[in-house]
Amino acid sequence: MKHKVANTIAAIFCLVWAFPVYWMVNTAFKPRPEVMTPTPHFVPEHPTFDNFLNAVRQEHFLTNLRNSVIVVVLTVMVSIVLGIFAAAALSRFRFRGRRLLMVVILAVQMLPGTALLIPMFVMFNQLDLLGTYAALVLAYVATVLPFSIWVMRGFFVTIPAEIEEAARMDGASTWRVLTSVLFPLVAPGVISTGIFAFIAAWNDYLFAYTFMQDQSHYTLPVWLASFTNPHTGTDFGGQMAASVLFSVPVVVFFLIIQRNLVAGMSAGAVKG
Amino acid sequence: MTTVITDAAGAPPAAPAPPASHQRRRRRDLAPLVLLSPAGLVLALVTLAPIGFLVFTSFTDYNQRSLFTGAYRSVGLDQYTDLLSSGAVWASLVRTVLFTAAMVAGSVLIGMGVSHLLTRLGRRWRYTVTVVLIVAWAMPNVASSLVWNWLFQPGYGVVNWGLDQLKIFGDTTNIDWTQDPTRAYAVIWLLIVWQAVPFIALTLNAAETQVPREYLEAARMDGATELTVYRIITLNHLRPTLLLVTILSVIWDYNVFNQIWLISRGGPGDATSTLGVYTYKTAFVGFQIGHGAAISVVTTLLLLGLTALYIRRLLKSGEDL
Repeated sequence: MKHKVANTIAAIFCLVWAFPVYWMVNTAFKPRPEVMTPTPHFVPEHPTFDNFLNAVRQEHFLTNLRNSVIVVVLTVMVSIVLGIFAAAALSRFRFRGRRLLMVVILAVQMLPGTALLIPMFVMFNQLDLLGTYAALVLAYVATVLPFSIWVMRGFFVTIPAEIEEAARMDGASTWRVLTSVLFPLVAPGVISTGIFAFIAAWNDYLFAYTFMQDQSHYTLPVWLASFTNPHTGTDFGGQMAASVLFSVPVVVFFLIIQRNLVAGMSAGAVKG
Repeated sequence: MTTVITDAAGAPPAAPAPPASHQRRRRRDLAPLVLLSPAGLVLALVTLAPIGFLVFTSFTDYNQRSLFTGAYRSVGLDQYTDLLSSGAVWASLVRTVLFTAAMVAGSVLIGMGVSHLLTRLGRRWRYTVTVVLIVAWAMPNVASSLVWNWLFQPGYGVVNWGLDQLKIFGDTTNIDWTQDPTRAYAVIWLLIVWQAVPFIALTLNAAETQVPREYLEAARMDGATELTVYRIITLNHLRPTLLLVTILSVIWDYNVFNQIWLISRGGPGDATSTLGVYTYKTAFVGFQIGHGAAISVVTTLLLLGLTALYIRRLLKSGEDL
């Protein structure tokens, strides 16, 4: 009896919570007349891929996709390489100012978007960097590197001290201990962190929208939002198809690392 | 996206860092320094320098003309006295506080409910609910904002149609949600809560599964109702996690920008311009960059207070920095 009540609530909850995602996918597969109807069709009657084709055939899709990929890959690489050394230092060594550094790293993550956006905009304007990949990569490294350090540190901390000590007994140098013992052990952490970094940079709208200033320089989130065109009206089918295309990599990656998130291996938590 | 690590989810206690061995003691001055300096230099360049520059800009009259000519004047504290006497800034602050409270209350309460629901379900339903939560959590907020616009589209939105079918609110087909402050808030609130509940529910649930069974069973044996068991025992165990999750939610919801911008652009008028949106409009629509910088400094200071609170709780809950 009690189980039944709980199951019913669970079913209602799932319906409500999954509905927006279902509606996005559902709309993406509907031809325009079925999309623009006052009485919604809950299942596409004539499913079609046209919306997806229209989306990717948009003038700037490929350029903006390329921009996104370049910026995201650079951000992830820079954050991982710099982050792994910093995380090692902050977890395997004790030194003065370590706690202070951790606090600063945590606090930087909590900054409001405009706190970095405004000064960076002015600085990049003076340096003639607006509209360049460098501007976006610098902005993303600022947001991604602190949490990369924090997440990877969580993985370093779980490595037992004995493993490291054994290597040192055998005469390994600090560099050797890092590269041959510690780094291989945190490889799963590096992958999780890389995915976090990917998602953060891939999803950003605010910096790209503000810094890039030209259709051909935008990244995919700005492309996605610009489906709203005041002159021709919004092509909702195309926009939803584009949203699906844009979201799929994120959702897939997220599902891959969710085990870490939920099991609390490093108890990492991401909010969109 | 903001990412934060908490150890509240019942993670195994972290192994302490290794004690300094003999060999390390000799090197310890240098090794961490060498390892830290690349990241440290980059972070100083991309975060600390901009923050410093933000503070500097807030003491100038930097505006649209300055962007082209590079010329600006120092105006001392004028930007700050201006914003203190600006009704629009105060209104925006009040709006931010109230709206943040509404979003946090909504997402934490629903999150607690879902967390508890998960403990009452069989394997299959628990798995289904978890997957639904994770998909909602994973959706990029730009995409979900657009989906929201479509759900609430006047004339064609499925929500408008659904409300119309209920026949309670009259003809709702052509309601333009973003043209009315209350409705615009309702739409944004629903989106934020929809996205925030998964993190809260799953984090709380991880803690709730750690509540010792014997306690719950003992209380039930003594004839306590389920509600009492939850209130007295479960909630007590959840308290540290609940507090961390609430503080984090406050910080995140206070910073919400994309969803508001993409749904209502802060409108109608300034009705949904929370501090983030108001600052953005000031700095990048009106190009009063100096003024925008001053608001941003104040916003950041307010937020630092919350962050300090969060870090203190994190340390108390056993996180070893």
